[in-house]
Amino acid sequence: MTVRRFHAEVGTAFATAGLGIAAVTGAAGLGFGWEESGPQPGYFPFYVGLILIGASLWNLIRAFMKHRAAVLHERNSGEIEEPFLRRENLGRIGTFLAAMAGFVIGTLTLGVYVASTVYIAWSAWRQGGYRLWVALAVGAGFTIVQYVIFEVIFKIPLLKGPIEPLLGIY
Amino acid sequence: MIKTRIALLTATAVMVAAPALADWAPNRPIEFVVASGAGGGTDNFARTIQSALTRNDIVDAPMVVLNKGGGSGAEAFLYARQNAGDPNKLIFGTNNVYLLPYVAKLAYTTEDLQPVAALALDEFLVWVKADSPYESITDLIDAAKEAPGTITFGGSQSKDTDETLVALIEQVSGADFKYVPFNGGGETGVQLAGGHIAANVNNPNENIGQWQAGAVRPLCVFSPERMAESEPIGDDMGWHDIPTCKEAGLDIESYQMPRTVWLPKDTDPEVVAFYEDAMKKVAETPEWQDYLTKTSQTGAVLLDEELASFIQTNEDNTVKVFQAEGWTAAE
Amino acid sequence: MGNFDLLMHGFGVAITPMHLMLMVGGVLMGLVVGVLPGLGAPNGVSLLIPLTFALDPTSAIILLSSMYWGALFGGSTTSILFNIPGEPSSVATTFDGYPMARKGESTRALTLAFMSAGVGALVGVVVITLLAGWASNFALQFGAPEYFAVYFLAFAAFIGMGSASPAKTLVSLTTGLLLATVGMDTVTGEIRLTFGLDQLLSGISFLVVVIGLFGIGELLSTVQEGLRFRGVSSKIDLRDVLRTIAELPRYWATSVRSALIGIWMGITPGGPTAASFMSYGIARQASRKGEAFGTGRPEGIVAPETADHSAGSCAMLPMLALGVPSSATAAVMMGGLMIWGLTPGPMLFATKPDFVWGLIASMYVSNLIGVILVLATVPMFAALLRIPFAIIGPMIVVICFVGAYTVSNASFDLWLVLLFGLVGYLFTKLGYPLAPLVLAMVLGHKAENAFHQSMILSNGSLEIFFSNTLVTSIMLIALALLILPKTLQLGSRLRRKAPVE
Repeated sequence: MTVRRFHAEVGTAFATAGLGIAAVTGAAGLGFGWEESGPQPGYFPFYVGLILIGASLWNLIRAFMKHRAAVLHERNSGEIEEPFLRRENLGRIGTFLAAMAGFVIGTLTLGVYVASTVYIAWSAWRQGGYRLWVALAVGAGFTIVQYVIFEVIFKIPLLKGPIEPLLGIY
Repeated sequence: MIKTRIALLTATAVMVAAPALADWAPNRPIEFVVASGAGGGTDNFARTIQSALTRNDIVDAPMVVLNKGGGSGAEAFLYARQNAGDPNKLIFGTNNVYLLPYVAKLAYTTEDLQPVAALALDEFLVWVKADSPYESITDLIDAAKEAPGTITFGGSQSKDTDETLVALIEQVSGADFKYVPFNGGGETGVQLAGGHIAANVNNPNENIGQWQAGAVRPLCVFSPERMAESEPIGDDMGWHDIPTCKEAGLDIESYQMPRTVWLPKDTDPEVVAFYEDAMKKVAETPEWQDYLTKTSQTGAVLLDEELASFIQTNEDNTVKVFQAEGWTAAE
Repeated sequence: MGNFDLLMHGFGVAITPMHLMLMVGGVLMGLVVGVLPGLGAPNGVSLLIPLTFALDPTSAIILLSSMYWGALFGGSTTSILFNIPGEPSSVATTFDGYPMARKGESTRALTLAFMSAGVGALVGVVVITLLAGWASNFALQFGAPEYFAVYFLAFAAFIGMGSASPAKTLVSLTTGLLLATVGMDTVTGEIRLTFGLDQLLSGISFLVVVIGLFGIGELLSTVQEGLRFRGVSSKIDLRDVLRTIAELPRYWATSVRSALIGIWMGITPGGPTAASFMSYGIARQASRKGEAFGTGRPEGIVAPETADHSAGSCAMLPMLALGVPSSATAAVMMGGLMIWGLTPGPMLFATKPDFVWGLIASMYVSNLIGVILVLATVPMFAALLRIPFAIIGPMIVVICFVGAYTVSNASFDLWLVLLFGLVGYLFTKLGYPLAPLVLAMVLGHKAENAFHQSMILSNGSLEIFFSNTLVTSIMLIALALLILPKTLQLGSRLRRKAPVE
C-alpha cells in the first residue's frame, strides 16, 4: 500500500479541523463573550479554534485543487504523482512505531528498566544484526547507566514494574 | 459579620499528648509530593522538612521530592487519590487541599486525603507602595468607598487565598476594590513596588525584600495578635510594630494560611502516628525554627483532633466568603 | 567605578580552590542534565538544593549557577546532533544547527553554538556588572500591558516573515495556542479544554510536546529514509574546532544584535526561550538571504545561542535585585536563597556584597570553565553519530520517553510523546512549520494572561497598550516588525513588475 500526498494532506486537514472544533465546543461551555472586565475564559480558545478551523478548510481546498491538477497532469502526460510514502518506507516506519509503542506499553506494565533493556536488545538483535548476547549486553549496559544517572545521582524515581521490588529496588 | 475565630493559636509551644510509639516505619523511599512548582512557598516548606528530617536522623528512609503544582496544586491531590492506601507518599499543601474542590470541579474530594499535621501559619498583611497616600487600612477602605472599583488589589492566582481575603475585606467593610490576579506572590510584590497596582495582601516573606528597600510598607496584619518581635526591617519598624487589622479598624480578627501535611486515605493508623511523631520532632529542630524566623511565619503544631477542628473552622469560614461571592462551582 | 572595585572584591571571594572545584563540578553536572531532554536545569538545580544546606550561601549559589550554565551549554548539544532540544531555550538552535550537522559539519555547528553561548554569557555578565542598579529599576517599569507588549514583540519578530504557506503557518500557530490554554487558567481560575481528563489538568507540558515533535518526529523521518543517520562527519579533530573559532568574528553583527536582544529579554520578563526565538527571527529578517535560513546557516546558530545565554545570565539580575525570577531555573534558585536565609530584593546588593559580587565574579569564571569543558567534549559528542542507528536510535527513543516522564512524573506524557512524534513527522513532511507551534506554546498563555490582566486594569479598553511611552514604543516596534517585511516584499515585487508593463 502506498500513501499519496493527497490523502495525507486531507487527513491532516481533517485532524486539525477536528482539534479546532473540539476547542470551540469546549470553549463555548466556558463562555466566550467579552465582559466588563475583559474577555471570558473561553474567549481566547474559542476564536483561536475558529481560526484553526478556517485555516484547515483552506488547506483542504488547496489539497483538492492540487489533486485535481495532479490528476489532469497524470491523464495528459502519464506521469504519476510522487507518492507520499512508498510501501517499503511505510513498512519501516510501521515496524519502528510498533516497537516504540511496545516499549511504551512495556514501560507502563513492567517498568522502564525492563522495557528499555528488552527494546534496545531487540532492535540491536533484529535490526542491527548483532548476536543476541551482544545485543542483550548493550541493552543491559544502557539500562544500568540510566539507573545510575537517574536514581543514584539525581534521585529521580522512574517507573518501576513488578520485578524491581523482588531485587530490593524501590 | 464574618468573624474568623481561630483560637487554636498556641503558637510555637509544642504541647501535644505523648506520642504513641510508632509500630510502623517506612521501608522504601518516601515521596514528598509538593502541591506547587519548584521554588514556590509549599516547595520551600517541604524541602525544609526534608532537610530537618535528614539532618536530625528522624527518618532513615531516603526522601525524594516530586513537584506536582498543576491546576493550583490539584495535580498533587489527584495523585494522592490515585495512590490511596500508599504509606510512602506524603502530600504537602496549604488550605488549598480542602478549598479547591469548592471553586473548581475536580475529580477528588477532601476525603481522599488523610490530614497528618499543620506545622505553620503564614500571615497575611495589607501592603501599599511606600509613597502612596494611604497611611492606614481605613484610609484605603475610605478611598475605595469614594471611588468604587478603581483601587486595584493584586494577588496571586484567582479564587485562591489572596482573592478570598480581598473579597472578605470587601464584605466586611462594604468597599469595592478591583482585583487583578498574577502568577505568584513575588510577581505581585514587584507589581506593587513598580506602582502598577495600589495594594496587595502578600505574605511577609513575599514582600520583605521590597519593604527593606523602602519600596513598599505594611498597613496591618490579619492575625489575632501582633506578630513576633524582630529586628527593624523597613522605616525602623519590625514585624511587631505592625498593627493588627482589627486594632486598625477593620473587623477581621484573623486570616491565616496553614502549611499542611497529608497522606493518601486508607493508610493504617500506625502510619499516620509515625508521620505525626516525625512532624512533631521536625517542629523542634533548629532548621525548622530557622525557617519560621526567616519566612516570618507563626509556628503551630496541629495534630489529630485539633487539626480536624482547625480545618473545619477554616473551611466553614472560607466557604461563607465563596458563597457570598458566588464562586462555589455550581453543579 | 564603584562597581568595578566591588567586582574585584568579588573575584577575591569567588576564586578559591574550593569554589573552582564547585564550578567544575557544577558545570559537569549541568552538562549531563542539559544533554538529557526533559531533565532540565530547573530539575537539576532543585535536586542539588538539599546538598547546599551544608555550604555557605556564596558557595551554594556558585554551585547552583554553575550547574545552570552547564545545562544551558549541554542543551544545545542534542539540539544539534539529534534535533532534540535538551532545554526549552535550545529549541531555536535546532532550526539551523541540525541541518548543519546533517551536512557533515557537526563539529562546526557545536563549536559555533558553544562559542556564541560563551560570548553571550560574558556580554550578559558585563552588563550585570555595569548596570546592576539601573537595570533593576528598569524592570520595575513593567506592568501587565508592558508584559503583553514584550510577548507580542517576540511573536511579531518571529512570525513576521516565514517561507512556509500562510495557511499552514496559521494551523501550526493556532494549534500551539490551543495546546497552551489546556489546564487551569491563572486569571480566571477556570479549568479549560481538559474534556474531563484529569491528566490534562496541569496542562500539556511544552517540553513533552517538543520532545515528541522534534525528537521522535525526526527519528521517524530518519527511519523512513533507511536506518542510518545522515551527515556523519568523516573525521573529527580539534583543528576543526579552532578553524570554526577563527570564523566567528565574521558574525559580529549577529552576535552584537543577539546579545542585546538577550539582555533585554533577560532583564524584562521575557526569559531565555523567548529571547532565542526572537533573536533567530530577527536574524532571519535582517539577512538578505532570508530564505536560506533553516538549511544550516551559521547565523542561525549564532543568533539563538548568543541570545539564550545573555538572557540566561541577565535573568539573575531581576532575581537578585527584585525577587522576580525571569526563568524557571531562577525561580528554583530563589527558593534556595530563601532557605539559606537571604532575602532577594533591592537591599541584597547593599547588605550582602560578598554574596552578590562573589556570584557575579563567579559567572565570569564558570562560563569560561564551561566553554573550555564543553569544547573538549565536542569530538566525543560528534562521535556519537558514528554509532550504528540500530543501537543509538532505540537509545534516543528511551532517552526521549524517560526525559518526558521526568518532566512531571506522569505516565500519560509517554502517550503524548508518541502522539506528538507522529504529528511532528507528518507536519514536517507536509510542510507545516513547527516553530510557530513551539513559540505559541511558550508564550501563548503568558501573553493571554498579560492581556487579560491589562483588560482588568483598564476596564476592557485597548488604549492601555498605548498609555505610556514604554508600552507604546514596544507595541510600535512589534507592529513594524509584523507589517514592514510584508510591505517591503510587496513593494519590491511591484517595482520589479513595473518595467514589464
